Amino acid sequence: MRAVVVVAHPDPSSFTHAIASTATAALERSGHHVIVLDLYAEEFRAAMSRAERVAYHGTRPLLDPMAERHADIVKRADAFVFVYPTWWSTMPAILKGWLDRVMVPGVGFVFDDDQHVRRGLKKVHRIVGISTYGSRRLYVKAIHDNGRRMLMRSLRMNTAVLTRRTWLALYEMDTSTAEQRAAFLQRVDRKMRSL
Amino acid sequence: MKVYVVYCHPDPESFTSAVFQRTLTTLTACGHDVRTSDLYADEFEPTLSLQEWLDHRAPISPPADIASYCANLTWCEALVFVYPTWWSGQPAMLNGWLDRVLVRGVAWDVTERATRVTGRLTNVRRIVAITTHGSSKVLNTVQGESGKRVIARAVRVLCYQFARSTWLAMYNMDRSTVEQRTAFLDRVERRIRRL
Repeated sequence: MRAVVVVAHPDPSSFTHAIASTATAALERSGHHVIVLDLYAEEFRAAMSRAERVAYHGTRPLLDPMAERHADIVKRADAFVFVYPTWWSTMPAILKGWLDRVMVPGVGFVFDDDQHVRRGLKKVHRIVGISTYGSRRLYVKAIHDNGRRMLMRSLRMNTAVLTRRTWLALYEMDTSTAEQRAAFLQRVDRKMRSL
Repeated sequence: MKVYVVYCHPDPESFTSAVFQRTLTTLTACGHDVRTSDLYADEFEPTLSLQEWLDHRAPISPPADIASYCANLTWCEALVFVYPTWWSGQPAMLNGWLDRVLVRGVAWDVTERATRVTGRLTNVRRIVAITTHGSSKVLNTVQGESGKRVIARAVRVLCYQFARSTWLAMYNMDRSTVEQRTAFLDRVERRIRRL
């Protein structure tokens, strides 16, 4: 399986990066082909430009070489693994911008003749999201887990019909102990090995 | 009333821009004291930097490029967002504005070992989001209206505890007629008059 691991955290020594490394190693040990897109390391531009917005509904919506390269990787992927910290109930802007600028018409979805959105990622049959939260689980549920919804519902609607979803969450991150974080990494490792 | 309007769209010729203009003329005609931010015109940088991440729990004075946004946030009684909905949420530009401008000491505070923040924007008694969706209301409901919940829940908990939030959305934008768009602009005007 070709898996794309998309990581969004400004600090290379963050726990989010530790999760991404654990997930990548576990997937590779299971014989999967893994491509890591570390959005901060690549200095991915978050905001869609005016030129990109104008070109969005045209025949060639990808104007930026980096977005085009990412789109090529996305088109060949069988599985997505998103790793990010949840801020203000949603994903960091750099990851939202990745959805905005890479998942354009012809990549993430297609418009039919009637301008209805149709699936564009039919090859993808697995979506995994791994996120950390400062808040408790109940509080996250009350506020709504909007980053999770975007990936597990909005993006999911554009992948293969039988796409399976996995969500791994570490709540109360800021007050967690080293043991809890180590246990979470083990959980990530187990899940990714059996993907 | 003191109203702060945050506008986000890359294209000055867009329908969202027309919505923003109608919102402004209506607010001014009603005698409100209005301040605005046009994030694309400001060339706002939506990606939270490593340094900002490392400092985010320290009650520091906000970086120079976000100080004016912070001042507007603590000044206003009503907070209005005008933006297009992309991938069920705010464009990365606005998403990143929330990531970077909602800083400790301005928008929130947290006590040692707490798992949730305390809102400081108690001056904000009214929140309005005005947006457009390419797809239908049914589809957006199934997908969970992530963007709506970011504003009406995650941002609102930082404001006055009984702050009211209003959602003004035009669905089916990609298949809309001129009449429907005109009707939406009129609806925005009517609603803003009753603010």
